[in-house]
Amino acid sequence: MREQAKYLPGLLLICLLWLGLSLLCWFKTPQASSISERRQLAQLPQLSASTLLSGSYMRDFGEYALDQFPLRDSFRRLKAASVFYLFQQKDNNGIYLVDGYAAQLEYPLNESSVLSAAQHFTDLYNNYMKDANVRVYLSIIPDKSYFLAAQHAYPTLDYARLFTLMQENMPFATFIDIRQQLDVADYYRTDTHWRQECLLDVAQALAEGMDCGPIATQYEEEVADIPFYGVYYGQSALPLDSEEIHYLRSPVLDACTVYNVETGSSGGIYALDKLESRDPYEVFLQGAAPLLYIENPLADTSRELVVFRDSFASSLVPLLVENYAKITLVDTRYIASTYVGEYVDFTDCDVLFLYSTLLLNNSAVLK
Amino acid sequence: MLFSDISFLYYFLPVVLLLYFMVPGKYKNSLLLLASLFFYAWGEPRYVVLIVLAIVCGYSFARLIDCYRGSWKSRLYLFFSCLISLGLLGYFKYATFFISNLNALTGWQLLVPKIVLPIGISFYTFQIISYTVDVYRGQVEAQRNLLDFATYVALFPQLIAGPIVRYADVDEQLKSRRITWEQAYSGVTRFIIGLAKKVLLSNVLAELCTAFRSTQDNSVLFCWLYALAFCLHIYFDFSGYSDMAIGLGKILGFSFPENFSYPYMSRSISEFWRRWHMTLGSWFRDYVYIPLGGNRVAPARWVAHILLVWLLTGLWHGAAWNFVLWGLFFALLLIVERIGQPLLVKLPAFLRHAVVLFCLLISFVLFNADSLSTAWSDIGGLFGAGGLPRATAEAWYYLRSYLIPLLLAILGCSPLPVRLYQRLHKRFATGSGFYLLQSILLLALLLLCTAYLVDGSFNPFLYFRF
Repeated sequence: MREQAKYLPGLLLICLLWLGLSLLCWFKTPQASSISERRQLAQLPQLSASTLLSGSYMRDFGEYALDQFPLRDSFRRLKAASVFYLFQQKDNNGIYLVDGYAAQLEYPLNESSVLSAAQHFTDLYNNYMKDANVRVYLSIIPDKSYFLAAQHAYPTLDYARLFTLMQENMPFATFIDIRQQLDVADYYRTDTHWRQECLLDVAQALAEGMDCGPIATQYEEEVADIPFYGVYYGQSALPLDSEEIHYLRSPVLDACTVYNVETGSSGGIYALDKLESRDPYEVFLQGAAPLLYIENPLADTSRELVVFRDSFASSLVPLLVENYAKITLVDTRYIASTYVGEYVDFTDCDVLFLYSTLLLNNSAVLK
Repeated sequence: MLFSDISFLYYFLPVVLLLYFMVPGKYKNSLLLLASLFFYAWGEPRYVVLIVLAIVCGYSFARLIDCYRGSWKSRLYLFFSCLISLGLLGYFKYATFFISNLNALTGWQLLVPKIVLPIGISFYTFQIISYTVDVYRGQVEAQRNLLDFATYVALFPQLIAGPIVRYADVDEQLKSRRITWEQAYSGVTRFIIGLAKKVLLSNVLAELCTAFRSTQDNSVLFCWLYALAFCLHIYFDFSGYSDMAIGLGKILGFSFPENFSYPYMSRSISEFWRRWHMTLGSWFRDYVYIPLGGNRVAPARWVAHILLVWLLTGLWHGAAWNFVLWGLFFALLLIVERIGQPLLVKLPAFLRHAVVLFCLLISFVLFNADSLSTAWSDIGGLFGAGGLPRATAEAWYYLRSYLIPLLLAILGCSPLPVRLYQRLHKRFATGSGFYLLQSILLLALLLLCTAYLVDGSFNPFLYFRF
């Protein structure tokens, strides 16, 4: 018996902790969403004969158990730390860290996706712009890996090929190259997106490319009073430092109104209430929206611009506003391209296709 | 439900263990049976009927065999028992493969049934067959208690991925079991180590295999990296599961047979099969190979027997041509090994080891191919076929990223960690302090595994499809 007793303390320790964690699993109040992962969490599924027999209850319960695991964020951080520091792996969930920047492994080049995006834009051009006396431009936003991956021996997209494919397959559009105006410091460390306060050069290049002349506005830089944790913060699950969101103001920007066609609501360029939301980047032009009209009452021109865009444009387009009376932003991830003509008048306007390499390489979301 | 599911680890298992240790001894088997059927139903609600049918058939035929022992009826009942067991296995596992190949061969248009493979059917079918054959041979007594027999077949630790437990292994334990602190501690230890093998090594290496499958920039280096990663992945996947099963068995008072014994340390293919999936190898030896005549037959017949046994072994792993070829590949290796035995024993040990590892790499590349064309392409890639470049930036990236897990896995395949532990144990394990410290390390391992499970999405067990 005495010989047996030596196993008891260790066994009790393991059993008590195991049981404790199990009790927490059983009795913890479920959370609706995860702030760090920016998503809804699975809830306890409905129990019924049909869900049981089909096995969907068991599958959903598995997801519930994972999503609602007690101290989930801490466990995710433990895993990320062991991946990076114990096992010396180079990425966690496809996110890698270099020079304090978290970036997504985005490779290989999905040529069919790029060609499909180009075809999507060509269809839009043929349907709405071909006979409308428009000036069409194309600009491609490199993601952070463009600056980081190859330099630090991470697998990388064949960016040159991507840019060539887009230009070759959109011969109706004038290409405006903004790569020279960007470097990695122009992006948030913990997020996919670029920083508005660093985009004046890019806006200048685009304005010149679209024959608008130099941007003359002097902006005032404001700092949002919240810590910003970008999307890679949650995905990497590492304790990265928070960042600041800066946004630029000017009398022109303050005078502009933004009309959201989907919700029927109007507001300013910056939706400051969104700073408290799950994704504070939505402060720029209210975040994801299928169709927005920006009207500039102080414009000394009647020029109009239509931008086909992804989320990167939200922070950039306000910087183009001084040269236009109206800018229409169309995001065909959220509106089918067949409906675009009902809301957008293309007559005699500038059209800019402004997309990130991330979207072009994953273009199945375009409708 | 998998052993490495959060729902198993933190919902099912604690409740079952608490109840198990609370109920009186005479109800323990009933509780285990209920828990096992619940465990099975969680993954396959519709197929619970099938396993119950298999249990009832196995039980009834064994009783009949026992009842008519010595008469021709005994043999007849054994025949029917095997026919039903193999018929169910044949229908659910091989009907689609057989009919689609028949259609391809003859040009017929027979309807190809879409059948979902019941989880664990290969394992529990083999257990039932071994039981009825053992009863027929008089090696074990027929179980009179249906509940005890059902508990043996459906026992959740070994139900869906082995080890293939013979009835004789647990006959006495089904009647009464005594669980000591040492046994429970050893069971918990074994379970957590198995979990760590599965979650921290196998799943991680599986990600490397997935990366290889999705690459558009293949290279010879990547092919070798993949072959190595898959060999280690499948070993840690299956041996991890076996460790968890054996550990759970110990906690519940059972003693299950070992299933792996450092197979990658083998210096011959026959030695490998004495160390890899040992319960399957011994099953085929005792119920197919030896009844056919074993080694004591003419060389030509022996070759035919080897081919048959390994064809069946390949088919047991899956109804696909790559598994058939995989089995026949081992048959070929064993035949060559036997013929060349006088020469092979003269080779230096490290060379024999290297040759075995090379053959195993090739075999597992074949094993994991989803079609024969993929198999040829993967194997060809190892030798640069099709003008593959020697290495690409992507391959180097994955080599750097997975170097530590690969090295740890290679180390884990050897007996070195166990030897080191035994040395430490011998020197320091005098009181409870050693075991307390060991428990803290085990807890850390459990929490790390939990962290990987909470964050990860890749967690299937390879041997579930068998």
